[in-house]
Amino acid sequence: MSTLNLALSLTLSHPSVQSVIEIAKEVINNNNVLDTELLYSLAKRRLKFPRKGLLSIIQLLINKKVLVEGSKYTKDEVLNNKYRFNLYRFLTSNLGAHFSTIRKHIITDSSGNLGSSGQLIWHLEMLIKFNYVRKIKVKNYTIFLPYEIGDEIGLLHFVLRDEIYLKIIQLLLSNEKLKRSEVHKLVNEKRETIYYRINNLIEFKIIKLSRDNNSLSLNSRKREDIISIITAFSQNKSQIKKLHFNNK
Amino acid sequence: MTLNWTPEVIVAFIIAIIGFILTITTYIKPKTKKITSLNYIRLAIFSFSIFIFLDGLSILYVSKFLSIFSGFILIPLTLSLVIGITYITKESYYSHGFITVVGLSVLLIYLGFQPNAVDIQIQGGYIRLPWMGLFNVVGMILTAISEIYMLYWGIKTLRNAPFLIKKEAYLFFFGIFIASVVSMVFYVLYLIDPFYILLSNIALLIGLLTVTLSVMIEPKLLYILPFTVYRIVVKDREGYPLFDHDWSKSEISENIFTGFINAIQLMSEEIMNIGGLLDIQLKDGILILHESENITVGLITSKSSKLLRSSVANFTRDFENKFEKSLKEGNKDMREYESAQELIEKHFSNFPSRIITHKKKPLLLTEVLLKLPLSLETALRTIFKDEKEYNFIKSEIFRTPKSTAAGFISLYKELKKELDDKEITHEQS
Repeated sequence: MSTLNLALSLTLSHPSVQSVIEIAKEVINNNNVLDTELLYSLAKRRLKFPRKGLLSIIQLLINKKVLVEGSKYTKDEVLNNKYRFNLYRFLTSNLGAHFSTIRKHIITDSSGNLGSSGQLIWHLEMLIKFNYVRKIKVKNYTIFLPYEIGDEIGLLHFVLRDEIYLKIIQLLLSNEKLKRSEVHKLVNEKRETIYYRINNLIEFKIIKLSRDNNSLSLNSRKREDIISIITAFSQNKSQIKKLHFNNK
Repeated sequence: MTLNWTPEVIVAFIIAIIGFILTITTYIKPKTKKITSLNYIRLAIFSFSIFIFLDGLSILYVSKFLSIFSGFILIPLTLSLVIGITYITKESYYSHGFITVVGLSVLLIYLGFQPNAVDIQIQGGYIRLPWMGLFNVVGMILTAISEIYMLYWGIKTLRNAPFLIKKEAYLFFFGIFIASVVSMVFYVLYLIDPFYILLSNIALLIGLLTVTLSVMIEPKLLYILPFTVYRIVVKDREGYPLFDHDWSKSEISENIFTGFINAIQLMSEEIMNIGGLLDIQLKDGILILHESENITVGLITSKSSKLLRSSVANFTRDFENKFEKSLKEGNKDMREYESAQELIEKHFSNFPSRIITHKKKPLLLTEVLLKLPLSLETALRTIFKDEKEYNFIKSEIFRTPKSTAAGFISLYKELKKELDDKEITHEQS
């Protein structure tokens, strides 16, 4: 093949161009790193094109954006994506946020929809894969935490975001002991709703039940953490919302 | 009259012939010929050929006059080389080198008219006409300046040569190195033993041959330094892109570029008439715009020049002619205009492409060409109904560790269930 003829008639549908694309596909599908040198040497060996002609084809493929500069993601590159960066920033500034909250804040903005749940979940998976975040399951909620935040702190943030949990805990902060049966009156919520939450708080080891099963007290080991989280939340009331539990 | 045929004369004539060939090559080979800097370099090569030819002729005829006259040719040689190389790098004639050469040239002319500027001697068994005294010193300084500038040109060309012509750039630099450094070393040794003038001339010959060869193989070598051409875009009168071609990555953002073209198209009536050219100075380059009956062509380059403007105008004219039918029908399918690549070859063939920055730079195939396993593709298709979103995820999959896609599908199922459960709970409550 003459270099000149090749250069003049090069289009993406040209059989020679297609053969080089096939070789590039093969390299990528075999999970190898594709670069100009590798593509050139493989194509040269198999297709026996002259140097200049082959380089013109590779140049055309880059020019027409069939081949684009890029490689497998490294941890540093993952956050180059603006969506992912914003998502990660949201998760670090909203510790203990669960999927529904994230979805609400990330996908919907003032202009409307910013993509599907599928895209959001993809980016969450990427952040998990590259150890930026991890997920914990609390009851029927999936919580996404920055990788370096421990489960206990993450759980406390999640719990204190719920206004009913918060009210119960605030009561226990100001009263060393409270009768279990009186809490719902003090919080002014349905008895079963409060009992469900109290049981959860006991299960999460945030509060303790006395031996006679009647009175409740705050786990003293978590007191300081709780106070600092509540203080932080009090500066931004929007962090606190009501959670919907599937009591079943 | 007996002719004084010596090895030096023969070598000088061969070098002169090679020099003339190189002059003609640098004129014939490149399709674009009107680059100021290259004209000066061509003049330098031509002057060099005259210089070495007259030098050989002076020995052949044992003529003092020809020897002094050949010395005077050093003036246009050095001046044009200095101007050409300065113009390549700074787009200006003036430099310290230029002022020095002008000063030395005046001195050389004065010294050339002094008695005993040239002597007739027998050196190494042959009759030679060595330059003497200050005339010789100034001549040597001018030669040294030429060779330093040549070396600088070689180094700059090699350093700036894009990946695609790097191999030829090494050959070009090798030639320049032999013709400047090696030849100069032998020239200095000639002061000790006249025999070395022959080796100096042979080094010049080899160097010049190599430079000629590399330029014949790749004329783009001569266009590396004058300017960088980044991108050309063709749009129809409604602003739809019809064709684009990149030579290298530009700092000018796509939005600014497209924005400018669109704005100019809107204001074209006031700013430029059809067939008019416009240069817009941007922070990171120049946008040359050309408007014709059916299209607007925009070219981004590092510098504007007459040559580039005429290339854009000719490209526009040929594009209009080649795709007249499609343009009249208002066809906006870019594939229809793909063969405009040959017009790029025709009008911009001298400008080297820098699109491949490094041979080891990792590359990926565009997502539309990549194939996913069928089961994964089906699963993704059910999740991503939007084609653009699907293609984005597909391109991401090829950049992630193998298990990411499977992890995503399972996380999607888990979170989808969580959402559904919550919606039911919410409705119940």
